[in-house]
Amino acid sequence: MRKCLFADQIDDYLLNRLEGEAREQYEEHYFNCPSCFRQMEERDALVSTIKSRGAWIFKERATGQREWVPAWKRALSSFTPRQWATVGVAAAALLLVVFGVLPQFRDSSPRFVLVENDVARGTALTLMSPIIDVRAVPAFFEWKAVGQVAEYKISLYNGGLLWSATTKDSRIAIPEETRRQMLPGQRFAWQVRAFSSSGTLIAVSSKVQFQIEPAE
Amino acid sequence: MENRPPQIDLNEVVVKYRPVVSFKVKKSLGAQTPDWEDVVNEVITQVIEKVKKGEFRGDSSIGTYIYTITSRRIVDHIRQKTKVLRSVPEPAPLPDPCENAENRERARILAEAVQRLKPKFKEVLNLYYYQELTRDEVAERLGISPRRVSERLNYAQRLLRKIIKP
Repeated sequence: MRKCLFADQIDDYLLNRLEGEAREQYEEHYFNCPSCFRQMEERDALVSTIKSRGAWIFKERATGQREWVPAWKRALSSFTPRQWATVGVAAAALLLVVFGVLPQFRDSSPRFVLVENDVARGTALTLMSPIIDVRAVPAFFEWKAVGQVAEYKISLYNGGLLWSATTKDSRIAIPEETRRQMLPGQRFAWQVRAFSSSGTLIAVSSKVQFQIEPAE
Repeated sequence: MENRPPQIDLNEVVVKYRPVVSFKVKKSLGAQTPDWEDVVNEVITQVIEKVKKGEFRGDSSIGTYIYTITSRRIVDHIRQKTKVLRSVPEPAPLPDPCENAENRERARILAEAVQRLKPKFKEVLNLYYYQELTRDEVAERLGISPRRVSERLNYAQRLLRKIIKP
């Protein structure tokens, strides 16, 4: 569609930039040109709106409708150098408190030193004999051997520790002197701990109780 | 041989030219002038009477003929008003509530549409229509060519048309 020669004068007319004869010629034209008149009506609505509400429209544009930028960029750009300095000092103080002061008030570190019955690895150590009441004083203690064990420590309790010994076997004879102390009717408990070659406790058996049945 | 007056459909003339006459009258007198509609009615009546009397000979187009009548009537109206104003000040005009409500709604929709435009288009509309800078001044302000200003204005108007009439 060919553009009307007067179409370029719409804005000038609406913004009162056409004067005298030029204005009259344009007015006479739009009385004869429905296309120009339609365009002018539409343009007039825009110009009138902008004239009457421009302060509101373009104020909004200036404050809230800038080109979209990510929130973090907006936040960063809104800081002044003084605010940045404050943020830096605050961050340094926070780090000082977290890493310098707070550790002073913390409880002591957890204890990772193994004591007597603590086990470094969860190897099972099963006692075999005696595990139930016996009629006579047992001559030895026997348990299932555990791999990689350098030494077993056997403890016999009778209220307190009655006897203790070490061996590399999975069986140990009870000394005669100890056997003499093991009287019928008494209740005993025994336990075996296994140690590695470096001396680390690697397995502990449960404490098994047995009784020497009293003689009838 | 005497020229016969051209056959004019007066109903069509009224339908077609009332908005054009109204625009010209409002533009000349101001849309806030309370009696602009009276002036329009007088123009239309005058046109009908003259055409009926055969005063329109077809020497010019009917558009030009109506434009001439409209311009003269506006000048007469301004002269009359000037005389009235010299004697007694006229009371403040009462706005038409219906028309104002319609216009307000249209203006609100259009204003919202302008706000939804990209900043580069709004900036051109602001400088050109609101601040009334010339095309060259807008071009200089934005560091673009005057042709680019025209393109942005045209494109902005096309976008507004799309937004308002999807």
